[in-house]
Amino acid sequence: MSTVLTEIDPEVAEALRAAIGDAHVIADRAARFHRARVPAPFPVHRWAEHVPGIVVLPGTTAEVAAIVVIANRFGVPVVPRSGGTGLTDGAVPLRGGILLDLKRLDEIHEIDLENRTCRVGAGVNMLKLNEVLGKHGLIYPDDPASYPCSLVGGRIGTSGWSLIGSRYGHTRDLVLSFTHVLPSGQVIQVGDGGGAKLSKSSSGYSLKQLFMGHQGTLGVATEATLKLYDKPEAELSPFWAFESYEEAYRAVGLIVRANCATFAGAVIFDPEKVAYLRRDDEAYIPQPESVRALVCAALYGNEEEVEAGGRRLMRIARDHGGTYLGDEISQGDWAARHDRYATPLHGRTRAGQVVPMGWHCEDASINYTAVPAVRKEWHEIMARLCRASEIFDDWGIFAYTNGPTGADYLVEIDVGIWEQELDDEAWQLWVNAKREFSAVAIAHGGSISACHGSCREGEVDLVPTELGGVFDVMLTIKRALDPGNIMNPGKYLLDRAYEEVE
Amino acid sequence: MTAYRYADETTPPDPVQVSDVAIMRFEHIFEVDPKLMTDHLSQQEFPNWDTIRIVAARHSHLAWMHDHWTLKVLSAGELLDDITREDAGS
Repeated sequence: MSTVLTEIDPEVAEALRAAIGDAHVIADRAARFHRARVPAPFPVHRWAEHVPGIVVLPGTTAEVAAIVVIANRFGVPVVPRSGGTGLTDGAVPLRGGILLDLKRLDEIHEIDLENRTCRVGAGVNMLKLNEVLGKHGLIYPDDPASYPCSLVGGRIGTSGWSLIGSRYGHTRDLVLSFTHVLPSGQVIQVGDGGGAKLSKSSSGYSLKQLFMGHQGTLGVATEATLKLYDKPEAELSPFWAFESYEEAYRAVGLIVRANCATFAGAVIFDPEKVAYLRRDDEAYIPQPESVRALVCAALYGNEEEVEAGGRRLMRIARDHGGTYLGDEISQGDWAARHDRYATPLHGRTRAGQVVPMGWHCEDASINYTAVPAVRKEWHEIMARLCRASEIFDDWGIFAYTNGPTGADYLVEIDVGIWEQELDDEAWQLWVNAKREFSAVAIAHGGSISACHGSCREGEVDLVPTELGGVFDVMLTIKRALDPGNIMNPGKYLLDRAYEEVE
Repeated sequence: MTAYRYADETTPPDPVQVSDVAIMRFEHIFEVDPKLMTDHLSQQEFPNWDTIRIVAARHSHLAWMHDHWTLKVLSAGELLDDITREDAGS
């Protein structure tokens, strides 16, 4: 199935209309182009190649299942889409077909105050959910950079990473169970054991994570039961400046290992990131040149515990070269981290002129001890890329803690790309650079991605290298569950599952 | 109440150069130096009130986000003052 189905057979369209109603099947050009849009996309100049043939907006799990059954009957690809905020193009059709938009599954079905869970549709946004939960003193602490615009279904499909995951866990920890439509159209309940509200079971295979992070290649989550916490009494988010990256790196290691139970996450900003911010971010423009690196930490919980932990972290940072940046910058920057997609972006030509640039972000999961080496090699890749073309701009590196022990970090390099000037040649330069970023991550014992996924051109080429025999198991599972290759075909090199059969 | 005067609103205060690449016309509001936006971006007339409004809206958005996530935001500056005093007294 390598044909791109940007037009749908009228017979398929008629079957879809019969299944979910005329009003929820859309074939117009604007609706189809809009739903191929993503924040850090495939080459923009080739947008038309990624447009679906038809858009469907089901309102129930049964309707989702009916759509998948129709797709199987006619051999048409199905691509699930929630907020469309992912950074690995999971929701972008590679073969056209049916775009399954989950936004109508936006109901909060149940809030269980005693068991601290809620059951919601896959089209619910976390910010809107937390507005409701806040009235009960509760919160669902899944906090991506796209927090105001991403949806629960996409968080499951991508196995999302959370900014405050070191305190509360990431999406895989916070989603207790979900209703899942398999590529056959069969509906199953996936969780820990059979109970929808359990966080631990030893009954049967643990399949929950298999059906998370598959980027829509193994079906569609339609409804989820989520773990809730008390809304924190208090928050503390100090930012410190350092005169060198090495000092900041040592300090963040000590801060993370300070063993504060309310610790929710820490971030290192490297010198290239500080230079970018000093150029273009109002909080950092006035910072003196002696500021070469930054560290921030966040704590959430009961006021007494946050305060005690905060005292400990403030003392560690001060004693290891950190200069506190003040409440205004610390509190303002931390609040902005819940909403990174709202940031307007521009970059610079070699002559220093301002140009509009899109944000591209490559991430990896890297152990603490390897972060400096990966950082150095990634900037060398970027320097070569910027020498090759001035449509690229190095916006520096962040490293975020993945967990409370500080064993590993989400390391991300932010890259500005002047997309109006992007052509096939420049795109190939970028794809080659992405492949090099991934190779560095693997060489240092890391993973290609901590957060975004790894199914875009460039990085995906190295997924079999990273996963080894596990990739072969992925092919076996894909072929077994989706014999017609109708679920998001072309992603993650999974077409190989079918080549082997032939 | 103050009167709206078009000429006043479209005449920004004189800029102060705050870095090689940024200027400041209003207190604590930094702007990219316009001389860096001559080749690839066209400039538009921007009334003073709109600059102030956008910055105020950003601040209120950030305050809203704090309220959304927590009941109380603690001051790290006050904690630092406390531990500095404690250390000086010990």
